[in-house]
Amino acid sequence: MIDIVLKDMWSPIIFISIVLLNLLIVYWLYKMGNSDYKKTKHSGEPFISGNRPPGDVRRVHVAGDNLFWGFRDALKQYFDPLIKGHTGSINDYMYWIVITLAVVLVYIYMVV
Amino acid sequence: MSWESFVMMMPYITVVILMAIGLYTVLFKKNLIKIIMGIAIMQNGANLFLVSLAYRRGYIAPIFTSAESTDMVMPTPHALTLTSIVIGLATTALMLSLTMMIKKHYDSINTEDMRRCKE
Amino acid sequence: MTWDTLVTNSPTFILGIPLLFAFLTALSGRFSKKIGDTLFFIALIATAFFVSLMSYEVLTGESWFYVFGAEQPSPENIRSFFRITFAADGFAVLATITIMITAVAAGIYSYGFMKFETGLNKFYTLFLLTLAGVNGMVLTGDLFNLFVWFEVTSVASCALVAFKNYRGESVEAALKYMILSTVGGLVILFSIGLLYGQHGVLNYALLREGITGSFIDKLALGLVMVILAMKASSVPMHMWAPDAYGEAPGSVTPFIAITSLGSLFVLFRLLFSVFSLTVVSGSILIILGTLSMIIGVSMALVQSDLKRLIAYLSVSQVGYMMMAVGVGLATLNTGDYDSFGELAMQGGLFHMINDGVYKALLFLSAVAVVHVTDIRSLNDLGGLAHKMPYVTFFFLLGALSIAGIPPLSGFSSKLLIYKSVYLYSPILAIVALVVSIITLAIIGKAFFNAFLGPDQGLVKRRVSKTMLLGMGILTVALVLFTLFPNIVVTEVVTPAIDALTETFEGVIP
Repeated sequence: MIDIVLKDMWSPIIFISIVLLNLLIVYWLYKMGNSDYKKTKHSGEPFISGNRPPGDVRRVHVAGDNLFWGFRDALKQYFDPLIKGHTGSINDYMYWIVITLAVVLVYIYMVV
Repeated sequence: MSWESFVMMMPYITVVILMAIGLYTVLFKKNLIKIIMGIAIMQNGANLFLVSLAYRRGYIAPIFTSAESTDMVMPTPHALTLTSIVIGLATTALMLSLTMMIKKHYDSINTEDMRRCKE
Repeated sequence: MTWDTLVTNSPTFILGIPLLFAFLTALSGRFSKKIGDTLFFIALIATAFFVSLMSYEVLTGESWFYVFGAEQPSPENIRSFFRITFAADGFAVLATITIMITAVAAGIYSYGFMKFETGLNKFYTLFLLTLAGVNGMVLTGDLFNLFVWFEVTSVASCALVAFKNYRGESVEAALKYMILSTVGGLVILFSIGLLYGQHGVLNYALLREGITGSFIDKLALGLVMVILAMKASSVPMHMWAPDAYGEAPGSVTPFIAITSLGSLFVLFRLLFSVFSLTVVSGSILIILGTLSMIIGVSMALVQSDLKRLIAYLSVSQVGYMMMAVGVGLATLNTGDYDSFGELAMQGGLFHMINDGVYKALLFLSAVAVVHVTDIRSLNDLGGLAHKMPYVTFFFLLGALSIAGIPPLSGFSSKLLIYKSVYLYSPILAIVALVVSIITLAIIGKAFFNAFLGPDQGLVKRRVSKTMLLGMGILTVALVLFTLFPNIVVTEVVTPAIDALTETFEGVIP
């Protein structure tokens, strides 16, 4: 039999109970705070450094392509050929299957 | 190689040629109809391969009622070939009808124009 | 008909009911839409019932081999060739459960999602045919049947991808998938011919006795393996997968993904039970799996289309399973198998059933987003959490699970994979960890873009109740797998591993 099993490594029940316990402590700390906070007219509005952001607030939103832009730009040499490789042409799809077939067969016969 | 063994090898050589033609068509032709024709050629190659595997000289068809000889071929490859022919009909029909729709939507049956889904 | 008869014949019903109802729903279009809907749900529930019947019997009692064919065909010594064997064992149970959970959820979801489409009875026909095909693929015990069910699945699922034939992209994706599947089916037929010519049998068990690793055996192994890996959307043959997943009608996207998971199940069955060349096939699985993880996640990073992003993530998840089971396969029959090989198998197979559930949940909630907004690009989405709290919750559950965040079920299986693969080769474990972290980053980006931020008023229509019910079923399954991973591993996954690694006894003496 195998030496280690999942039961010895990790138990989700214990994990979840500890998380719940932590939440209880957080709630208790929260309750200890002063309750003299007053809701004003401007609470809940979006702001940048204390000022209202310029323009339409709904459009100031970091969109899909902006995230990880630096990551993509730094690894340009890796990503550009990869994107170019996905041509969308059915001939290329077949081409990849034939190449993989050839490589796998060579591996089966030669390497092993 | 004697003439006799060459004749026995003939179906297998044909299979290889058919498969090669089909594969070449699928890989290098840009016309969808030609690609589908290449697939049909490959289908025939595979069917011929199965049928020639099942051939035994001097054996009869495996019909048990009032059989004179017990030298019968195994019917499995024939059954497989029949199934494959039927399936081939279905797949070819489906691919051709999809090609018709491609022509309607893209106004072309060139695979270079059929590249809206990519990356 | 007694209860025992029902249990013994359950493999037939699992295939027969969807096949019968597929043609009944096709006919019902002449009468009324209601009849088609009713027949479809009857078929789904009946199939799920027989799957659970078979599972219960296998997991509590013992597995059996269901045999079609005459009891005593003459001549005596070749009678096993005339028979068709279905294996109702632990592995088939794992596979059919995975398939059925997604099928039921996607079927219920379809009812609300496809309401505005015409020709729904044909949609039901294709759905049920695909279901029968995938179940047949994982249940069968000989290569002849495997080929037939493979082609049934191909034809039906390609037609399903092209169901919205008023969209050019759908037809294009379906045609690409169809050409690849047809060529793949032919290659499988060719290698079946090779094996038959060499050994004279098609039954898995008889074939295993004959296979020694000759030239022909190795050729057949390579051909079958590459084609089934292609159907399982492994890199570098994964390019059809984002097209097909992205352009299929939304509600069946997870179901198309399940057909590729079914091919992966068949691949594992063949590699363990038929081809006894474990070391070479295991190393190929590890290489393909590692490539799938890296390339899949890299391509997901550059996507801005929500459905294609999840499709590429699912490609990288397939890599985890191939790598883990490859480690188990490569160490089979050595001392390492006992120390970590079986653990890797547990991780890989548990990840498959997990993946079936959370991937379906992720796809269905992403489809709900596209359904209510008509927008697929992450650049234009935003602030949906204000109007769609349930869908947000479902997406978040699936997202955390696919990224392997504790305590969700994805973490349990990934922990098993990291632990065991580290003992095999630390580099593979590091790659798996890094891919998991990048997955978290990518899915975080998708969640942030689609759901967070100020409300932009993009919601055009409501998510219907049946769609929520479909996602709810998957959520229940996900929560169960999350809370009780140990029970799933010992009760469902371990019998599957036993069925794989022990000799396949699919011949009735």
